[in-house]
Amino acid sequence: MNTDRSLEQLVQKYLDGTATPDDMERLNERLRNDEAARQWFIELLNVDSAVAATLVDDPDADQAVPAPVAPATSASPRPSLLPRRGIVTMAAPVLVASCLALLLALGLLLPNPQPFAQVVSAAGVSGMPNNEIGDGRWIAIDAGTIELKTARDAQIVIEAPARFRFLSGQKLQLDSGRLAASVPPSARGFTVVTPSGDAVDLGTRFGVDVPDDGQAEIHVFEGEVIAQPTRSRQHRSLTGGQALRMTDGPDTDRELRSAAFIHPDEIGSLHAALADGQVGRAAAALEHLRRDPTLIALLDFEDSALPQGTYRMVQGRWPGSRAPEFAHVGDHIKLNVGSNQEWPQLTLAAWVRLDRLGDPYQSLLHTDGWDRSSPGQVHWMVTRHTTMRLALYGNTLTPDAIEPDGYPDSRTSVLPEQGRWMHLATVYDAQRRTVRFYLNGQFDSETHQQIAHPARLGAAQIGNWNRQDRKLSGRIDELVLLGRALDDDEILQLYEAGNPYR
Amino acid sequence: MASGSRTQHQRFLRLFTTHEPAIRAFVRRLVPSRTDADDILQEVAIVLWEKFDEFREGGDFKAWACGIARYKVLAWLRDRGRDRLVLDSDVVEIIATQSLEQEPVLQQQREHLEDCLESVPHAERKLLAQAYQPGAVIREVAAASGRSVGGFYQWLHRMRQMLLNCVKRRLAPEGA
Repeated sequence: MNTDRSLEQLVQKYLDGTATPDDMERLNERLRNDEAARQWFIELLNVDSAVAATLVDDPDADQAVPAPVAPATSASPRPSLLPRRGIVTMAAPVLVASCLALLLALGLLLPNPQPFAQVVSAAGVSGMPNNEIGDGRWIAIDAGTIELKTARDAQIVIEAPARFRFLSGQKLQLDSGRLAASVPPSARGFTVVTPSGDAVDLGTRFGVDVPDDGQAEIHVFEGEVIAQPTRSRQHRSLTGGQALRMTDGPDTDRELRSAAFIHPDEIGSLHAALADGQVGRAAAALEHLRRDPTLIALLDFEDSALPQGTYRMVQGRWPGSRAPEFAHVGDHIKLNVGSNQEWPQLTLAAWVRLDRLGDPYQSLLHTDGWDRSSPGQVHWMVTRHTTMRLALYGNTLTPDAIEPDGYPDSRTSVLPEQGRWMHLATVYDAQRRTVRFYLNGQFDSETHQQIAHPARLGAAQIGNWNRQDRKLSGRIDELVLLGRALDDDEILQLYEAGNPYR
Repeated sequence: MASGSRTQHQRFLRLFTTHEPAIRAFVRRLVPSRTDADDILQEVAIVLWEKFDEFREGGDFKAWACGIARYKVLAWLRDRGRDRLVLDSDVVEIIATQSLEQEPVLQQQREHLEDCLESVPHAERKLLAQAYQPGAVIREVAAASGRSVGGFYQWLHRMRQMLLNCVKRRLAPEGA
């Protein structure tokens, strides 16, 4: 950095556009022959380019500078909406379209005078006065879900609690919260900036989850996203099905948790149910359930006193309601009910939003114990074959049973409902020796038991068992245990009353 | 443009998005103003896409792109250099070669810039952002800041030098 004053002045004039031909001759001479001068020159312009790249989306500057006008430092005019050269010589419209998409993605076009985004809907959200977002101010939401559409038609759903702002129509900064984006080709290049790195879209559907510790996860449902972690600066290309956690240290691959995000195509039916007064009907049905004399447990997670365990509270079935979310092996809720009691009949039901299926087992409810000391202990789960299972210790299937693993399993895969809230129910009857399964209120199948012990509960975990081969990836809302066998109609009513969709 | 397929397009976009800052910085070192660099980069992007079929899978995209960008810069100098105060083409060649050799270090310097910018007081950072906005008129930004145009350029130059010192300090080995 030992630059002398004359060189500095020459370079400054060159950059300002005020150099004379004489100055240029001297500058060329210095740069041609003086290695140190050249080194300093290269590094200075390198920094200049980086300053421009870093500050180009600064919202402060957007507000302060009036209308973009011709630059002072160049004789050539700024490109207008279409680039001047190149594009016009291409014949096929499809090529023009793809190049235009490319240039849009590269951010080479002038900033759009439209507002950054429109608020399409806001459910359960307070403090969102405007239906337009036109500046870079921070927006914080404590509860609910908002749906936005950017000027270039990217659809974005943000779930509370969240804090975010737009840096431009193509750049959203998410400090905390959860976002799902559906980005059409016109908005390719849409970027989500998080405390631990950026997600740059390449035409796709993806989600970004920023928990309170700021270490963001990127989940790609479809297409491709470039992850640019702040610390490592190693760009990663993520394609559909991949997920990455950007941390202070090395980034870690994650399992895709598609259903951890409310998707834009889901929000319409969620809001329709809300507008239709479905929340009220669900609350009335819950009150009815609470008065059922056979009720063993009802967890709706709306009390201020939350059950013990390791989990993260997120949004429940209704915008503004709450539910626990399980993501890591070992995440769980403790539930200890009815120890030393036997239940000849038992109904288990819950609203579940599974993030992924297949290995390992998704644990709905597992009694801590599973041994001959107390036959009838209950294990309720979704298997690695994506069916529902109710296993009671010591029970056996009848010889004609077709279940492959020796336990009662449902027939229908829960796969088609992945990514939405679904209602899972199982009805056990020790006297009739049957296990009946229901998906979204519909009867699925009945399995007969040869030996059928009365059910036993006691100390149990929701979302985990004390073994590495099972966990839960997803959320649970409204878990109900009843000491009687509900019939088909009652299960259907339970589903219809609590269904968050219309 | 033979490479019309969607996946090819996405692959190109991915590579270009990843390397765009490096290619832009490379062009920036060879021409007098950022606007010039923007114009050239726009043409480079189109040529890269047109020639993308010639780029081999697994090759060094940045090096390939900089090769094409270098050619474009030299053509630009030839076309418009006569009436413009630009560097001589032999000097541009030397700078291009040297800066490609040093690209790993230059990239690190660019990456540290954001941290260095954070240490700039808010008011000055805001002014800097205004001066660097595409289409900003220095005369107006200077007037709004209460400085003369000459004084504002002086200030801009001091900021650049300060930021360069900062990124170099951050890259220096511990205790050096």
